[in-house]
Amino acid sequence: LPAYLRRANAAQSLTIATLHNDDDPDVKAWNKVAEVVEQKLPGQFSFNIVKNAALGGEKEMTQGIRLGSIQGALTTVSVMSAYVPETQILDLPFLFKSAEHLETVTAGEVGQGLAAKLAKSNFIVPAYINYGARQLLTKEPVLTPDQLKGKVMRVIQSPLHTKLWAAYGANPTGIPINETYNALSTGVADCMDLTKAAYAAFKLYEVVPDMTETAHIWAAGVMSYGAMFWNGLSDDQQEVFTEASKAGCAHFNALLKSQEVEAMAEAAKGGGKVFQPEDRPAWVAGAKPVWSEMADKVGGMEAIEAIANG
Amino acid sequence: MTYQNTDTRSGAAKGRGLQVQALARALHRGLSALLGAAAAFVLLVMLVIVTVNIVLRYGFASSILGAEDAGIWLNVIIVSLGAPLALGSALAMRLDVVQTRLGARGQAVSAVIADTITLLSGLAIAFGGAQVVQLVGGSSDALGLPESIRFGFFAVGGGLVLVMVVLEQIASGRMIECAIALVAALAIYFGAGQVHLSPGLPPSICAALIILLGVAVSAPMPHAFFAAAFLAIPLGASIPEPAMINIAVNGASKFLLLAIPFFLLSGTLLTVSGVAERLIRFAAACVGHLRGGLGQTTLLTNLMFSGASGSSIANAAFGSVTLYPELVRNGYRPERAGAIVAASSILDNVVPPSIAFLVLATVTNLSVGKLLVGGLWAGLLLAAALFVALRLTVNEAAVQPRAGWGLRGHTFLRALPAFGLGLIVVFGIRFGIVTTTEAAAAAALYSVGLAVIFARARGAGLLQAFRGSAIEAAAIGMMIASAHPFVSLLAIDNVAGLVKQAASLLGSGPVAVTLLAVIILLIAGLFIDTGAAILILGPLLLPAAVAAGLDPITFGVIIVVTLMIGGLTPPLGVLIFVVAGITNVPSSALFRSVVPYVAALVCALILICAYAILSI
Ligand code: NA
Ligand code: NA
Repeated sequence: LPAYLRRANAAQSLTIATLHNDDDPDVKAWNKVAEVVEQKLPGQFSFNIVKNAALGGEKEMTQGIRLGSIQGALTTVSVMSAYVPETQILDLPFLFKSAEHLETVTAGEVGQGLAAKLAKSNFIVPAYINYGARQLLTKEPVLTPDQLKGKVMRVIQSPLHTKLWAAYGANPTGIPINETYNALSTGVADCMDLTKAAYAAFKLYEVVPDMTETAHIWAAGVMSYGAMFWNGLSDDQQEVFTEASKAGCAHFNALLKSQEVEAMAEAAKGGGKVFQPEDRPAWVAGAKPVWSEMADKVGGMEAIEAIANG
Repeated sequence: MTYQNTDTRSGAAKGRGLQVQALARALHRGLSALLGAAAAFVLLVMLVIVTVNIVLRYGFASSILGAEDAGIWLNVIIVSLGAPLALGSALAMRLDVVQTRLGARGQAVSAVIADTITLLSGLAIAFGGAQVVQLVGGSSDALGLPESIRFGFFAVGGGLVLVMVVLEQIASGRMIECAIALVAALAIYFGAGQVHLSPGLPPSICAALIILLGVAVSAPMPHAFFAAAFLAIPLGASIPEPAMINIAVNGASKFLLLAIPFFLLSGTLLTVSGVAERLIRFAAACVGHLRGGLGQTTLLTNLMFSGASGSSIANAAFGSVTLYPELVRNGYRPERAGAIVAASSILDNVVPPSIAFLVLATVTNLSVGKLLVGGLWAGLLLAAALFVALRLTVNEAAVQPRAGWGLRGHTFLRALPAFGLGLIVVFGIRFGIVTTTEAAAAAALYSVGLAVIFARARGAGLLQAFRGSAIEAAAIGMMIASAHPFVSLLAIDNVAGLVKQAASLLGSGPVAVTLLAVIILLIAGLFIDTGAAILILGPLLLPAAVAAGLDPITFGVIIVVTLMIGGLTPPLGVLIFVVAGITNVPSSALFRSVVPYVAALVCALILICAYAILSI
């Protein structure tokens, strides 16, 4: 049904923004939230999920949440660093050993501490998600860091990413994601990094067929609501939304794992090959300067090492 | 205007009124000069930053961290400084068809309503922007500066719109009208917060109706869009005022959009440097001897010009100044000559570089590189269609003898500097040396060089070119910004879903979807500006097209070509207006004379649609 017809008989409408389409875990996670809320609070809320980045990219989404045009969204933690720099601790390279490690940390004290800081910036975060690990994507196999020397690496425009790849001797260049395929096929860039799901979604295996499973940075995400909206809810309603969000995020993490398997099957069919990194100490060594440089911003070296050794 | 100078109480009062009028005129002139110079300077800084970054990247394997964000912020500043100046130019995007049919009283009333709309938009931008500054938070990681700065400039731009409108009204002696509009705008602005109506229509449709009202009373189109998004709030829209300004500024904050002022600058300097004249001589040497030789020369010149410039408006203006007099001197009827200039100027926005494709890429996330390649083929096809139409419609005896190969070679060599511009753009983007925006900056820098070398352009001449390009870019940027809140309202009401459903009622096959899309685009092209139509309809129509199996790039080409044809049709035909404005041929005569060329372009469009459908 078109949104405006639904809205006529629903109590309170929430605009949820997403970059993705119906089949993506992102949208299915919000459907799950809506389902739980409807079950517990029938007829009180209607979720209007606006898809395909129609309300902008991640930065626009967070601004919309603060200014009240958007009530909820799933975003990466990275975009939140513009408000709470400490969130970058989750973006540090070679910090997490596995998906489980990341999920334990975000569900634990670290995650709660960051959520409290985000709440001060008007983002209410009841639960975290895991978008998967970023992997190195190249035109020919790259197994050790020294093979990156002199290569033009497409990165997100962020000092953290820029520093990491510069530490390996690569030449980091910021290119918008929708221009990246073209830039790689014409030779503006030689390599990049991305999560497995996005790798297949953008058909990047056609231009950077070799994936090295470095899992160097894990892309954590948050399900966040605007404080303006959240504070208008009763305590009971807040409890239901918290529970629903946790269910939605758990659903997301489960879906993402199967999406990654499908993505890699699609990439393999399109000529993609997977390699394991060699000389792991050399990779980790490149990340250490980033840790020390970011330490002050993210709460100190002890906090970083506590996670790494956890 | 019958309402002018109603102040007849006494000579002294009249004298004071005239003094105020003179003061307002002086202030208006001074502020315009100041804003124009500032916008030109910011454009220069932006050009320097982007080109230094290219040199650093390809020469020294490094880059300025934050160059991209800095460029985006500077572009927002250009829009903020230039938009108040665009109000008084041909690029204010006012539709005057309805107005001219009203009586004197009707015209006066509609002028006051139009001013009220502009002032309301200025108030919403100024106050909404100020709220964004307070609420938005966050900082640019790359620049280490608070995000709020970008919005602060835009808020100031809104305030400047208010000041310029009021000064201009007082300067032209319309004090009472100005007072009425100002009071009305303030009352509506502050009253709107107290009211909540439920008109039983989705907010996006309410906004659309208000936009149509604004367009009908000849309000500048971007301000009609802002006023409509603001008035949609008491009518149930879920986008609060600060969010609306935030969405508008974010819509104009794309790195790709920096290419617009750069391409405009190249186009302007191409003419200033006299290199465009050399293109005409080369074109004449190639096709001047054919039947309708001068018409064919116009077409070929425009085709070559379009390879270096990205704005059809610039192309139409260039053709009106340089090619139109030649055509008339050689016996073409003025309306026929103007129609040829207008029709062939659409090539500029189809052949790469093209502002239309840049705008489409920013709003749909299609690859601009692929769109430009699609545009190249479409542009050649459109040129072929116009070639045939010229052969059929122009009966001019060949006025020129066939040029020898020596002359052709000579004129070709002299035209080489212009081709250099095209090469920078095409090679830059296509072969991946630089991104689209960087290619545009390189092209702009190259044309500054051409102007300095060939026309010995110095400070004043270059300032004029930078200033003009900055204001034109601001007008386009303001249109882009203003359309975004409306686009968001449409997205929240899921109008794209409705279009998809409507398409599926027609059978959901590619033929039905293409037909429906072309009809919607042609109707939209009748009334709204091409850029705004791309922003609004691109995201609405593309999902339905992709669902029907059409190639999104080819479909993007169809969107742009169809809307560009709309630039030649009444009631709102921007290209016809530009030609009419410069040549003084009535636009009604041009609209009649352009019919055979529109027919030819529509035939080419049908071929592109057939290709899109058959290649599934
Ligand atoms: Na062009
Ligand atoms: Na039209």
